[in-house]
Amino acid sequence: MNDPVIAIDRLTRSFGAKTALNAVSLSLPRGGVYGLVGANGAGKTTLIKHILGLLQAESGSVRIFGLDPVADPVAVLSRIGYLSEENDLPGWMRVDELIRYSRAFYPGWDDRFAEELRQSFDLDPSAQIKTLSKGQKSRAGLLVALAYRPELLVLDEPSSGLDPIVRRDILGAVIRTIADEGRTVLFSSHLLDEVEQVADHVTMIRQGTIVMSAPLADIKASHQGRSLDDIFVSRVGAQG
Amino acid sequence: MRSPAAAFRWELGTRHRWILVALPVYLLALSIVKWLVIGPEEIVAFEDEFTGFGLVPLSFAFFYFIAVFSFGLNGDLAGRPSIFPSRLFTLPVPTNELARWPMVYGGASMMLLFLGATVLARLALGMKVPVLWPAIMAAVVLAWTQALTWMPYGLRGMRVLAATAVLVAIDAFVITAINFDIPEALLVAFLVPQLPIAYWIACHAVARARRGVVPDWSLFNRAGSARAVSIAAAFASPARAQFWFEWRRHGRSLPSLVAMVLPFELLLFFVGGYGSKYFVWFVTTAILVTPIVMAAFAASTISKANPFAREAYGVSPFLATRPMTSAELIAAKLKMAWWSAVATWLLMLTLAPIGIRWSGADSVLIDAIQRMTTAVGMPRAIVLIALILGGLLVSTWVMLVQSLYLGLTGRLWIIRTSGFVVFVLFSLLGPAFRWFSRSTDAERWLWDNWPALVAVLFAIKTAAGLLVVTRLHRRRLVTDERLLLMTAVWLVAVAALYSTLVWWIDTPLIAHYRLLMIATLAIPFARLAAAPLALASNRHR
Repeated sequence: MNDPVIAIDRLTRSFGAKTALNAVSLSLPRGGVYGLVGANGAGKTTLIKHILGLLQAESGSVRIFGLDPVADPVAVLSRIGYLSEENDLPGWMRVDELIRYSRAFYPGWDDRFAEELRQSFDLDPSAQIKTLSKGQKSRAGLLVALAYRPELLVLDEPSSGLDPIVRRDILGAVIRTIADEGRTVLFSSHLLDEVEQVADHVTMIRQGTIVMSAPLADIKASHQGRSLDDIFVSRVGAQG
Repeated sequence: MRSPAAAFRWELGTRHRWILVALPVYLLALSIVKWLVIGPEEIVAFEDEFTGFGLVPLSFAFFYFIAVFSFGLNGDLAGRPSIFPSRLFTLPVPTNELARWPMVYGGASMMLLFLGATVLARLALGMKVPVLWPAIMAAVVLAWTQALTWMPYGLRGMRVLAATAVLVAIDAFVITAINFDIPEALLVAFLVPQLPIAYWIACHAVARARRGVVPDWSLFNRAGSARAVSIAAAFASPARAQFWFEWRRHGRSLPSLVAMVLPFELLLFFVGGYGSKYFVWFVTTAILVTPIVMAAFAASTISKANPFAREAYGVSPFLATRPMTSAELIAAKLKMAWWSAVATWLLMLTLAPIGIRWSGADSVLIDAIQRMTTAVGMPRAIVLIALILGGLLVSTWVMLVQSLYLGLTGRLWIIRTSGFVVFVLFSLLGPAFRWFSRSTDAERWLWDNWPALVAVLFAIKTAAGLLVVTRLHRRRLVTDERLLLMTAVWLVAVAALYSTLVWWIDTPLIAHYRLLMIATLAIPFARLAAAPLALASNRHR
């Protein structure tokens, strides 16, 4: 049980001439909320895609729950809840169809919890996904990512462009997830005040390289209690 | 670009410039081939096989233009909302102009296409075909399709029904008019006034869509809001859920396409007169291959993982993060395609006999079947018909899934190159066929060497199959048990076809090992088995 949930060792990835990730190493133990912060194009989404097995490591290795997510996608993905930045839920599905479809993949799906989330998110089961607002789509995505109580919840810029009410829902979901003992949340965001509210460990990434990775309390202590915003600007720089 | 008209022309022209250029080039090349191979003076008859090489791409272009100018390539035809692209609603352009320019450019393109084809048919092939009304009718069909597909509807599927009903009614009227030798001027007088009517309805449809009007006449949907989620029955397995996903996404496309085209084809029996048995066979063959041709259109959407993704051929994160292997995702597509093909053929076998019986064309077909039964005996005749129908069903399925190994790579250059190669090969097919049919030396060479050609194809297919199986095994995309099962199923299918061929073709002229090679070539393997490799390379880039 002490094995890290995410173990990345010297991961490098390039797209043409651009190096998106440069010898990134990261080890996240089980339990807790990990904030991944960086400017646009810093490599956050590329890193998350490697964790999900959507990208294959060019060099280095990625292990999730001790498994290779590319070689063994079923074993890895069935334990991960993922909310995509792209919010690409199939627009033709109704909310109840999305729930029915999603629960087939996860033996641990909790119907009662799903219904509780649906009601608290005020999602009409007969509404088509494409007719939902951006915030409602995010809530629907969050519902199907949480309802089977995944061991690892990966949120890629979940609250980008959303109103404060939806952001509150997402943060609430993160807090509920970590309330379940032993579960892990990886949370990438531009909104550093949000990360500051929920993360207990922060990783800063700049141009494909990790520039800082430490418990939030240690980071703040070593920067004389400055806000995460100030620390981010000083370490990562405005240009990213 | 200083006017909405120029902007629309640029958008429609740029996106589809290849087909707009390729088709006239193809028709021109076909005319040159006719002049060089058949001779400038010789008149090509309508039932001549050469005509087919002009009609097939022309029909393809007709449906392609309909899809392009009605924006049907990216829309959900069965859905309730308008398929008019919502991104255009924010342009600072009056609603009438939004509807007008796609209609004007579409109508003009359609008329040019048919006028060009008519001129070529008359001048190059010497055929006596009417000039004006086919071009106007093509423009009218497009205008009605645009008006009716841009309209928001209150029920799912109603768009397809409404469009089919109106188009069949126009088609039936024109065909009846031809049967009664109505003058072309009267036909034109019937068709032309429909263009402003269709335009008026299209403006109304786009205006409603722009205001966001989507009526809901479904009692089921309104009652659905009160349902608790837990009431919905669970899927028995992830495979069932994925099959449901694929069926809802793609499964109904092919039956819908065939349902739209089949009535037009059946009406041809009433036009041409079933006195000519060649015409009856021509139309019957066209009807029988329709599902396979339409499957080629439907197949292009099956490879698209998600039209809402940035790259339509890329795998969306939603699909890519399903906890299923790539082989299981492919299995759901293959199963969906099979049931889609079965549904299509059930539709065909229900509607086509009714149309053929009503037209009186059945006498030609029954006569042919009776003569065949007398010649080869009842059991062989039954087996042959079953083989033909089974072959058509399997071919429809194969057409739906055979290009998955290309489309699912997500690499646009692979998809476009393969499309270009197919187009070039198809273009060469006509002249090659004509050359072979006229050259006795070529025919003799083909007859002497066909076993060698089949052997070469057999060797290529076997090598490709082994390569794919090795890759699947090495990358662990399919378990060893599944791999063995796949191979066993394929071997059983080959053995069954081989046994049937040996029983049916009872002649010492063809050695049994050659029949085995033919059976091996007929049952698909390598391309289907390569689909998980393509998806895996796209899913885990």
